[in-house]
Amino acid sequence: MTQKFRLENGGLINRDKKLSFKFNGKTHYGYEGDTLASALIANGVHLVGRSFKYHRPRGFFGAGVDEPYAIVQLYRNNETEPNIKATEQELFEGLEAKSVNCWPSVNFDIGAINNFLKIFLPAGFYYKTFMWPKSFWYRIYEPFIRKAAGLGVASTKHDKERYEHKYEYCDLLIAGSGPSGLASAYAAAKNGARVILAEDKPRFGGSLLTSDVNIGNQSGEDWANGIIAELKEMPNVVVKNRSQVFGYYDHNMLVMSEKVSDHLPKTKKHHPKQRLWYIRAKEVLISSGSIERPIVFGNNDTPGVMLSSAAKEYLKVYGVLVGKNPLVFTNNDSGYETAIEFKKNGINPIILDTRVNPQSEIIDEAINLGIKIKFSYVVVAAQGYKKVCSADIAKISDNKKQLGTIENIKCDCICVSGFWTPTIHLASQSGNKTKFKEEIDAFVPGTSKQNETTLGAANGIFTLEETLKSSFTAGQDLSKKITNKDNKISFPNVVEKISSQHDKFWCVPLPKGKNYKRFLDFQNDVAVSDIEIALKEGYRSIEHVKRYTTLGMATDQGKTSNLNGLQLVSDIENKVVPAVGHTTFRPPYTPISIGAIVGREVGKHSKPTRKSPMHSWHEKNNAVFVDAGVWLRPRYYKQGNENLFEASKREAKNVRTNVGVCDVTTLGKIDIKGPDAAELLNRVYTNAWLKLPVGKARYGVMLREDGIVMDDGTTTRISENHYHMTTTTAQAANVLSHLEYYLQVVWPELNVNVVSTTEQWAGAAIAGPKSRKLLEKLFPNNDVSNEGLPFMGYTEAELFGVKARIFRISFSGELAYEVNVESDNGQFMWEKIIELGQEFQVQPYGTEALSTLRIEMGHVAGSELDGRTISYDTSLEGLISKKKDFIGKRSLNREAFTSGDRQKIVGVVPLDKKTSIPEGSHLVKDAKAPLPNKKLGHISASCWSVEYDNPFSLAILKDGKNMIGEKLFVMSPLKNKVIPVEIVSSHYVDPKGERVRS
Amino acid sequence: MLHIKCPYCGMRSQNEFSYGGDASVKRPELNKEISDEEWDNFVYNRKSLRGKHLELWQHLSGCRQWIKVERDTATHEIFNTYKADEEISQ
Amino acid sequence: MQKYSIFNLVKNAFSNHENWDLAWKDPTPKEEYDVVIIGGGGHGLATAYYLAKEHNITKVAIIEKGWIGGGNVGRNTTIIRSNYMHDENALFSEFGMDLWRKMSQDLNYNVMFSPRGIINLAHSDAQMNAYARRGNSMRLNGIDAVLLNREQVKEIIPMADFSENVRFPIFGGLMQPSAGTARHDAVAWGYARQADSMGVDIIQNCEVTGFDVTAGKINGIRTSRGNIKTKKVGLCVAGSTNILAEKLNMTLPIETHLLQACVSEPVKPILDRVVTFGAGHFYISQSDKGEMVMGGDLDGYNSYAQRGNLPTLQHVLTEGIAMMPFLSKLKMLRTWGGIMDMSMDGSPIIDKTHIDGLYLNCGWCYGGFKATPASGWTFAHTIAQDRVHELNAGFSLNRFSTGYLIDEKGLGTKTWIS
Repeated sequence: MTQKFRLENGGLINRDKKLSFKFNGKTHYGYEGDTLASALIANGVHLVGRSFKYHRPRGFFGAGVDEPYAIVQLYRNNETEPNIKATEQELFEGLEAKSVNCWPSVNFDIGAINNFLKIFLPAGFYYKTFMWPKSFWYRIYEPFIRKAAGLGVASTKHDKERYEHKYEYCDLLIAGSGPSGLASAYAAAKNGARVILAEDKPRFGGSLLTSDVNIGNQSGEDWANGIIAELKEMPNVVVKNRSQVFGYYDHNMLVMSEKVSDHLPKTKKHHPKQRLWYIRAKEVLISSGSIERPIVFGNNDTPGVMLSSAAKEYLKVYGVLVGKNPLVFTNNDSGYETAIEFKKNGINPIILDTRVNPQSEIIDEAINLGIKIKFSYVVVAAQGYKKVCSADIAKISDNKKQLGTIENIKCDCICVSGFWTPTIHLASQSGNKTKFKEEIDAFVPGTSKQNETTLGAANGIFTLEETLKSSFTAGQDLSKKITNKDNKISFPNVVEKISSQHDKFWCVPLPKGKNYKRFLDFQNDVAVSDIEIALKEGYRSIEHVKRYTTLGMATDQGKTSNLNGLQLVSDIENKVVPAVGHTTFRPPYTPISIGAIVGREVGKHSKPTRKSPMHSWHEKNNAVFVDAGVWLRPRYYKQGNENLFEASKREAKNVRTNVGVCDVTTLGKIDIKGPDAAELLNRVYTNAWLKLPVGKARYGVMLREDGIVMDDGTTTRISENHYHMTTTTAQAANVLSHLEYYLQVVWPELNVNVVSTTEQWAGAAIAGPKSRKLLEKLFPNNDVSNEGLPFMGYTEAELFGVKARIFRISFSGELAYEVNVESDNGQFMWEKIIELGQEFQVQPYGTEALSTLRIEMGHVAGSELDGRTISYDTSLEGLISKKKDFIGKRSLNREAFTSGDRQKIVGVVPLDKKTSIPEGSHLVKDAKAPLPNKKLGHISASCWSVEYDNPFSLAILKDGKNMIGEKLFVMSPLKNKVIPVEIVSSHYVDPKGERVRS
Repeated sequence: MLHIKCPYCGMRSQNEFSYGGDASVKRPELNKEISDEEWDNFVYNRKSLRGKHLELWQHLSGCRQWIKVERDTATHEIFNTYKADEEISQ
Repeated sequence: MQKYSIFNLVKNAFSNHENWDLAWKDPTPKEEYDVVIIGGGGHGLATAYYLAKEHNITKVAIIEKGWIGGGNVGRNTTIIRSNYMHDENALFSEFGMDLWRKMSQDLNYNVMFSPRGIINLAHSDAQMNAYARRGNSMRLNGIDAVLLNREQVKEIIPMADFSENVRFPIFGGLMQPSAGTARHDAVAWGYARQADSMGVDIIQNCEVTGFDVTAGKINGIRTSRGNIKTKKVGLCVAGSTNILAEKLNMTLPIETHLLQACVSEPVKPILDRVVTFGAGHFYISQSDKGEMVMGGDLDGYNSYAQRGNLPTLQHVLTEGIAMMPFLSKLKMLRTWGGIMDMSMDGSPIIDKTHIDGLYLNCGWCYGGFKATPASGWTFAHTIAQDRVHELNAGFSLNRFSTGYLIDEKGLGTKTWIS
């Protein structure tokens, strides 16, 4: 295979390194330094895809981020990625790509039938039809439409690549390494400022790589290379290519995506595929340049029609001809540069210039080179289906309304230049209200909103000298403010050709009797006629037009279509462009890989995992874990072939008959110190706290200010001004913040300090009738008798040389203790408990057995304290002090909270004493009542009572107080269950609470 | 990402902080007789101003101090930050 | 009014589509209306439509500051569901589901209602139980719900993470098969077109600057395009409710917050359900265009800026990848933000107020889009009859004083974390 469209010489590619690649199964060759687009064009491949709606043939339109057409499915290192722009993808050895959105092939695409139906498919057609019969939208039409849309194919394989994040601070962030970026970076760097210079392309230099200019007696490219080389050597400068600043967020935070490995056949070991930089910059210089605008004409989406700047870039950077018989269609001098470049390479272009009689240096040069120029001429329509083969051209009247006789001339490409649109995305994202600049028919940034300064072409400045001058000055001035240094740099001599005024012309009128589609948005197939329909139907705001027609909503986000769309609306509505308005740009500037945005927090690392100090023991002893927030807790310890139900029953039973041990490290623990600690507790909890003696624990309930229960737990008075609070696992962090809020914001006069000690203490609950005996073994030197350490008592103790705290508290309802030791000693404590507990048949128990134990005791937990219940509902109203005020008390007198038939916690037992009651079921009076069936309450927690060997549940039931003894039905329609039940007290086991005191 | 000046620690990124809502809402004093309306205004009703908004943030992953931040809710510009008990002259 | 049909589409094709009527007119405000609806979003437009259709009140103006449909009706993730636990929300939303099913034909505008089903994933037994509570409640309220186990979920959405390398494994999920999505813009436009055809004036680019209230009664409004007399004003401006409430000296149990959403580049159909993540807050569906439409948490501080920050999206997308790892290779194409009325219990307010003739429709939190038809229908009833309908009786303003809260999530008044 030869690269028929590759020039013998020239370009910035490495001709010594030939690369092979496949496109649609066919092998081609290119060079290192090519993009997939340049390599394909070099090989004469001009048809790469199909359009979104009409499936019209698509070639290449640009040479970079603005590309609306050349979207491919990429295959790299056994992975595939959809929707890669061929104009951005650098070529590597072995690259494979395929066309998207076509079937069976890009050459013969069935979907192209839409192209013939297009008169029936104008903007918004789907709003007007597909409504009959009613069920057909979802069943027939929609699946069909979905199938036709969608570009590439997403792989469902897990992404094996790595993405990294990096946080940086700098004095100046400069986005874009064209002339303005280089000049400002250089000046700022010389002043000692910390500079980050970002370039989204592989090569630095921007427009200097393709323009015929001279700076300081060097070519633009050489000057750029010199500056970059110098910047790279400076310690205060970071220079990054393949790095796009895509988002300008609040407080001068910018985000940049660096493509670290996408240009390589595979990612190197320990390297990320992409890296996301969060950069907090003191000053931001936006030197993002400009994008050429198309001129709109008939069939302007035919492959071979492309931006003239792209044609020039393919020539100068890649040594590739986009055609051998080019037509240049321009309204300004830029087209001439492209034509001259063709001519220099032995190709004879024809220039059609919409202007009547423009005069400038470059036009003279073109004339002198013998290039054929037709003034006041336009392309009326491109001819050819899969590739341009000729153009219908005509003379246009001076008022640009009438076309002369149509002539047809042969050509194989049409290079279009409709002047330049500054790339103002970053300024707009910063909050800058952009303004319309008449002279260039485009928007430029207005007053800076954050610390952003827009330079050069991005600011609508299109002469090199002015760009360089203003950029040097900006770099110098802004850095001087930060570093207080003022190194003067001598300004280089600049030679450039001065352009003449562009023609305010952007759309070729339709010739009489012709109905060519004139496209504005090339990817979404939005034509001039679509906008006309939208306006005719009253969709007149630009937002309505965009949404109705989908103009600018494609993956190129309207980079080449937005402004022409605005022009069209302003023409039809007879308004000036700024009155039509324009969309505010939102990040990202170009689509950013979701993997890069997320970074390393994937898979097992998507959230942290917290483990108790005894975790490895649990693992070794067949614990099956359960997620409790970010904690992992043993749910049960599997013996033999036991299932969850059997194991938890065994464990719970053992607690009721012998002794069990449960890891309670995850409970929140807060250390509270200070002379006003008791007063704080008294305000935070609903019950009284001022008289709790030292060495005693108390159970407390805290409310939110809206009266809803927030959390419960015990707090122990360790010493005069020192308390130890426990919270539920789930609320630990919230309770701490809650206390801090009241101490710092509401009651700063209270002299109290609070700090989390959750991670400092390992905790084991030892529960069961034999727990005291075990404790005696564990703490032979401490008095743990019922008198020495009564219920709700506390003592400090020593566990074989290790400092320990013993709390006589119980969640299981049995005689129980909680032992805390410093975390490092957790494993030691646990092993001692197991070792010395052998003679008492000690067994570890998990959260499932813990649930069983607490449920049959009627102790509430998270499933009852669900953020909707009050103390009364959960039978905690006995803990509400009438004598004092506390957080949330004032809310308790509200109508709903005091109403007589308020819901309350009850126990539920199936009448057959056999059928387990699924959690999340509801209680109803009549199981056969028509829907909606009135729900009286719900089952909050269920267990198999080990005490009575039958199912038992807790429920929150309307008027629960008066329902004891009633017969109701539990319904779980999801599980197809109706269970007749009796309502009993929630305190199913040991209702008098004798065991805990025994 | 906002950049918030903690009066204790200096400029820090927003991800070190957690938000705490309108700082102009004052909790009624304990044990004080107040009307239902006053209580509802404390618990539920918020002006939620567009523009300058005095709000609480906690430097959660830092010094854990609650601070007051004066921020524009339309532009996110931060005008000033204060310690929780600092008097603010308007 | 011209009927939209295949026949008319073909007919117009042969006249170059030059003979389509205006979808709605652009009238200048009259001096007086029977009812003025402030806010030309989905809810305002629907309210006007149902005022005309159900109550024969057609001397109605919709006053819109910008362009109709430019607020949250055009900035949401298009999810429609009635999978609520509390009766007030459930029965209201299910009534809405019925209106959704008929909407395209009712409005003669294809709103592309697509009942593809929503699955809420559960990642623990405790969560399965919580979903069972919700699902059973739905079923007892006559709403479809199915509890799926892990295998059943895998069959429906195999691209979710069923691997070993997962932080929060999928235990199962709750599915509402009749839930789905619709084309959001079409909803606004469809209501606008029909309301207009029945005589409602849609007045765009008209900002309300004040209210004329005397002796506790509303007499009119002041706007940037002059004063308008009316005895009834319906406030339908979720996202700007607090701003207008200030002009009425009202302080409401609402905070204004920013919610971001984003879409990926379009890809071929891969996900034909709406799915939500259970170990965080993330939801996703694939649009007819092929874009993955994704959303999650609020930005987390009071905001009127329709611009968000990246950390929130990063957080949301982290949960996205945790749920469906294949998203990693897709690219985020567009992001946007919507301004939410976050009410203090997470449920809306549709009610009369202490001012005679002033009606309030606000506090929609995340759930405004799906509620559009039911909200419009009940609000129209409330305005027309000057009393609430039983469907919106629970959405009263004074429930915060009485304590009859409707808190689906149990998170309380910290609106920014709900």
